Amino acid sequence: MLKQKVRFKLLDLILIIFCIGIVYFIFYRINVQLEYRSNWAAIPRYLLRKDPSTGKLIPNYLLLGLFTTIRLSVWSTLLGLVVGVIMGIFRTTKILFLRLVGRIYVEFIRNLPPLVLIFLFYYFASGQILPLLGVEEFIRTRSASAQAILAFFFAEKALFTQFVSGVITIGLFEGAFITEVVRSGIESIERGQREAAYSLGLSWLDQMRFIIMPQAIKRILPPLGNEFISTVKRSSIVSAISIQELTFQGRQLATSTLWVFEVWITVALMYLMLTLILSFAVSAMEKRLRISD
Amino acid sequence: MSEKKLGEHIITVDNVSKTFTGGIQAVKNFSTKIRRSEVLVIMGPSGSGKSTLLRCLNGLEEPDSGTIIIDGIPLDDDKRHRLEIRKEVGMVFQQFNLFPHLTALENVNLAQIRVRKKSKKEATEMSMDMLTKVGIAEKAHCYPAQLSGGQQQRVAIARALAMMPKVMLFDEPTSALDPEMINEVLDVMKNLAREGMTMVVVTHEMGFAREVSDWVIFMDDGQIVETGTVEHFFKNPREERTKLFLSQIL
Repeated sequence: MLKQKVRFKLLDLILIIFCIGIVYFIFYRINVQLEYRSNWAAIPRYLLRKDPSTGKLIPNYLLLGLFTTIRLSVWSTLLGLVVGVIMGIFRTTKILFLRLVGRIYVEFIRNLPPLVLIFLFYYFASGQILPLLGVEEFIRTRSASAQAILAFFFAEKALFTQFVSGVITIGLFEGAFITEVVRSGIESIERGQREAAYSLGLSWLDQMRFIIMPQAIKRILPPLGNEFISTVKRSSIVSAISIQELTFQGRQLATSTLWVFEVWITVALMYLMLTLILSFAVSAMEKRLRISD
Repeated sequence: MSEKKLGEHIITVDNVSKTFTGGIQAVKNFSTKIRRSEVLVIMGPSGSGKSTLLRCLNGLEEPDSGTIIIDGIPLDDDKRHRLEIRKEVGMVFQQFNLFPHLTALENVNLAQIRVRKKSKKEATEMSMDMLTKVGIAEKAHCYPAQLSGGQQQRVAIARALAMMPKVMLFDEPTSALDPEMINEVLDVMKNLAREGMTMVVVTHEMGFAREVSDWVIFMDDGQIVETGTVEHFFKNPREERTKLFLSQIL
């Protein structure tokens, strides 16, 4: 690719001054016209607080929310990846039934408003699937130390079922998008690759494992990375079913303290921190892939 | 070539037809028999169905009707039969179809290890023999993108040969090559023919046909128009369509 030299021109300067002006104006309006008294000093105590018994600093609302968001994102990304790869392969097989399953799954999820889906899944998952899997029973019968470990990786006992249904919901939701990414990746591999593998006598599984998937994965890594970032953003929607992740905690805090701007700006920055780190990781990965081409 | 001993029939094609979705009939009631160690060249204008016929022979295309028997194994719905035929029939494609994420050596190794269940060491030994045979052993650790078209096609031939096939199919193996690379591939194929490999070759390379082919089928519109030795085609082709075609490519 041709690299163009970046040059700073007068127009850029004018635009930057203009942008600063707009930001200043907004703050001016908030401070003067709304007579909003900002209280930024209050925010840190909602990130960390002193434990009254030991005197140590421990995470408070917002940071706890961030941790839940991270746990939620990690597990639902993993679930979405598993479901997405399986469904993506289903959508490219010769067997009509499997293609149909994949197609129905994707169309069902992509064509419903996410919020409706969340409620549907939540009541279905927590009402039907989880008792069937015995999740509640499982967590209740664990030893205290096992519960502590589960609390670290998932959620504490009281919120465990909710957390699991949240993960299932976002995981299945993400899975639909990952399905399409995987499908397009598999379909982008030239037909001749499969024909050559077939002619050599390789089984379908070996064709997928040694020929199609290694090439497809390389092509879908960048869009897959973007889906991971989306998962973090979309996880905020489960605040609607009272999972205490970052958005939920932010809303609780904002309504009880009325420091609306401070709380939401802090929440936004926390999300940005997560997604920007991921996004840098994705572009670094893309760059490395481009070198090996 | 006359001293070459031809064996019994190894490929029997009986009354095979193939129509693509969309109604184009690519192959119409095609029948032929090919003996062991025979080199058959199939010629014909583009769209005459010669590639489709070739692809039917190893199951890449499914004939609508008719039977194909290769080395006593019928190519039918039985998966074991199909796998057996895929193992015994090597195929070389116009676009090489090497696996771009594997080195030349890994390309040749893969099916030996996965299908023939050889150890990596055994497979590598065989692969190096085959790469030496096609004159490209020194490029064993190169990726396809680092090889020229002619080199890639030779690796593709080595890959098919390493499976020890009883029959080799070539689908216009030199059509995608720059002119200066055609001969290096044809030389490999000629050697193979002289060693007694059974070969079915779709090509317009008259030099190749003249040197090693036992007979030639001229196809048009999915059917055999004329068969005979190369000399027959050069000296006195019978059919008008054959004459017209030959006048265009010679």
